[in-house]
This record gives sequence, structure tokens and C-alpha cells, in this order.
Amino acid sequence: MSDIATTAAPGGGPRPKYKRKLSNYLLDKKLQLRYVLLVTILSGMIAGALGYLIYQQKRAASESIEKDLQALTHADSSQEDFQETVASGLESEDRALVYKMVGVGVGLVVILSLYLLIMTHKVAGPLFKVSMYFDRMAAGRLGVVTPLRQGDMLQDFYINFKDMHDAVRARAIADHETLDKALATLREAKNKADYRGEAQSKLDEALDELEKHLGERKKNLVDFPARPGTSA
Amino acid sequence: MTKNQPPKGYKRSWKNLLINKRYQLRFTLFMVGLSTVLMAGLGWWVMRVANETTTVSMASVRGTPCPKVPAITDIAEEEELPAVPMKLPAEDAPAPTEPAPPAAGSAAGSGEPSPDGEPRRRTTIQMDESSMTMLEPEPKVPEDYGAKVVAHWTCEMNLGGKINRLERGRMLILWVLIGTGLLLIGGLAVYGIKMTHKVAGPLFKVSLYLAKMRDGRFDKVWNLRKGDQLVDFYEHFKTAHAGIVQMEKDDIAKLRAVVAAAEAAGAGEDPKVVEIREIIARKEKAIE
Repeated sequence: MSDIATTAAPGGGPRPKYKRKLSNYLLDKKLQLRYVLLVTILSGMIAGALGYLIYQQKRAASESIEKDLQALTHADSSQEDFQETVASGLESEDRALVYKMVGVGVGLVVILSLYLLIMTHKVAGPLFKVSMYFDRMAAGRLGVVTPLRQGDMLQDFYINFKDMHDAVRARAIADHETLDKALATLREAKNKADYRGEAQSKLDEALDELEKHLGERKKNLVDFPARPGTSA
Repeated sequence: MTKNQPPKGYKRSWKNLLINKRYQLRFTLFMVGLSTVLMAGLGWWVMRVANETTTVSMASVRGTPCPKVPAITDIAEEEELPAVPMKLPAEDAPAPTEPAPPAAGSAAGSGEPSPDGEPRRRTTIQMDESSMTMLEPEPKVPEDYGAKVVAHWTCEMNLGGKINRLERGRMLILWVLIGTGLLLIGGLAVYGIKMTHKVAGPLFKVSLYLAKMRDGRFDKVWNLRKGDQLVDFYEHFKTAHAGIVQMEKDDIAKLRAVVAAAEAAGAGEDPKVVEIREIIARKEKAIE
């Protein structure tokens, strides 16, 4: 391997372990929110509709009991208090049921949203990372690609990307080495051979250009700098 | 396809919907599983409350009083006569006299008061005059008997109908819940796969290009299909692809300049120049 392939990240040592931040969980808003909202709204609708049905049934039972009790105690005014107590007890029970269901529903929505955010982040994370490498490739930078974090999804896709990146990088390194050697050989040959004056100066100029070009390529083939903000 | 024919729009095929099984099934099954759990859990709760309500309503219906069917009496006049209190005869009271013989042609008693002043209890009998035998007494049916029977059974049938309706309502809730649940699960499964396909599709397409790039082929990159997601991600990929192609073009330009200068200087057949030509040829082929 050449010196390019073995060049370590500036600062030396292994890359520090990246920690997931809560603020970074929403990487691809469109992708993540679409799924999160869909599942959350759907769950909310199911819970809401069935919750309403439960309340309606419960209320119907309470009303039936209240009606029967009213019919039974109609003739006896001394039973009015008892009837009112029973009726208010049933009503407060029904109200408590509504509060309980609303609480459970809100809890479900919140927990579900957070879980889905984390779940979709495991897809958006790798896509974000690959996008970052794509941007670097667009600028001609072909550093070393680090593996995904544990638990990330799209591992197969990432392996495909890494294979491609490594192949392109390996070819670039091989070309660089070949051209580096060719450059040295041509310079040596130029000094030994009896080249014509103008052609020699043009060859000199072209070789200088190539050398400069290879220098830039070499800079782009070293490992990427450490991510700012990462800590051990 | 002929040259002038416009390219056909790509149609999504049902067979190709499941491209990335791991990703698509995970998200779809999560959605379907969650809905199933919610539907089953809350549905069970709904049924429990519905059963309670049905039981309460049925008890209420059963407790509703219906008009009774009047009893058929065999003594018509009995009701009209005042009740004779049961009384043991006093010890010093005279022995009961023989009842007066009934008037000819009459089946009823004379109705004369007894010696103690109380009306004599009468018994109505029917006789067959030809054989002089007692006939079985004919039951006396009240005048509104039919109306009362109809009212009673109408009420009973109404109550039965109400109970049936309550039971049917309970079963309807159960079947609606089962039907809605199955429809929801089926619909969500299809929708989930279609939705995730819009993410898996672009990833699959990019994977194909990545495989080509790995093999050193930088073909033209086509746009995504309408409705696909990851449009921004795909733009990043296109930029990267274009960047690599530009790199190759820059390399070719620099190397061609060197080869041209070397040829002009008479070093065209140098093995290193030949090697450079091979690199140029490979790079040109890659970006074709």
C-alpha cells in the first residue's frame, strides 16, 4: 500500500465513538415526519374511534341503570337522594373513564412518536452519512469510509456504497502510483534523451502540470479530517 | 423501440414492490402490528363494555311489565254476588232448612235469604233437559279478553324483539370490529409496502449505479420516477457521480497533454507513455 492509503486521520489514533444527540434525530424531516405522522395519526384515529365507542357503550349502560332506578324510585320521594347519588356516581365513573382514555391515548401518541423518530433515524442516519460522502466525492475527495453505527438500518445499501467508494479510491490510488512513476521515468528519460528544445520545454510544462495535478489528487485521497464536535 | 418513439413511462409492477424486504417489511409490519394490537386490545375492551351494556339493557327490558291475560272464570255471576263470609253456625242456631225446590224450568236457586238474614249462596248449574244430567259448566270469557290477549302478546313480542335487537346490536359491534380490523390490516399492509417502496426504489436504483461505478463504469444517471421519495438524497448522488466523471475528464485532459508533449518530443513509444495511453483509454471508456 502507498503512503496515501495508510495516512491516518489528523490528530492520530482511532476515530472517537460518535454519540447520538437528541437534536440530531430529525435528520431527514420529509422522510421521517411522513412515517411518524402517518403511524401516529393512524393510531390516534383507531384509539379515538374505539375509545369513543367504549365511552358511548358505557354511557348507554349508565343511562339505562339511571332510567330503571328512576322508574323504581319514582313513587318514593325518600329514595331521590339515593337515586341522585347513584346517578352522579355513574357519571363520575364515566368521566374518569374518558380522562383515563385520553391520558392513555396522549401517552401512546408521545411514546409512539419518540419511538418512530428513533426508528426512522436509523434509516435517515445512514442516508445522511452517505450523502455526506457523496458531497465529498463531488469535490473529488476520496478518503476512507467508516462503518455505520451499531443498530443502523440499510446496512446492505451501505456496504454497496462502501464497496463502490473503496473501488474508486483504490483505482485512484493505483493510477496515482502509476502516474507518479511515469512522471519520474519521463523526467529521467527527458534528461537522458536528446529531445528538441521547444518540445522539451512543452514536455517539461506538461509534466509540471501533471505533477501539480497529482499533488492535488494526493491531498484528496488522504483520510477525511475528524468530525468536529466528536468526543471520546 | 424505434428512434422517434418516445420512451414509455415506467410502470410500477406489483411483483417488484418488495425490493428491500428487510427495510420494507420492518416498517410495514411495525405499522400493521401496532394497528392489530390497538384494534385487538381496544376491540376487546369495546366488546366487554358492549356486553355489560347489553346485559343491563336486557335486564331493563325484561323488567318492563306487560298487561296480563285475564283468567277465564266458570261462574259468571259469582263476581256480581257479594262474598259470603265463612262462618261456622252457632250451636243454638236452628238446623238448616231444606232448600226450596227450584222453580220449574229454572236452573238457578230461589235466592231467598237464609234465616239468619244473609243471602243464600247459589250455585249455577247447566242441565241437559232431555236426559236431566248435569252438563260441564261453560267457561265465561270476558268481553275484552281478545284485546287483552293481543295486548299481552304484542307487548311480549315487542320485548322479545327488543332483546333480539340488543343481541343483534352486540353482534353487529363484534362483526364491525372484526371487519374493520381485517380491512385496516390488509389496507395498511398494502399501503405500507407501497409507501416504503417509494424509498426502497431510489435506493435500489442508486445501488445499481453504485455497482456500475464499482466496476469502473460511469454511465449517464437517469432521473427518479414520479412520486419517488429521497429526491434530495438522489441529487447528492448525482452530484457525486458528476464529480467523479469530472475527475476522470480532468485526468484525461492532463494525461493527453503529457502524451502529446511526449510524442512531440519523440518519446511517444516510451513504455511509460504507452502505460499512460492505456490509462486514458480506460478512463474514456468509463465515462462513455
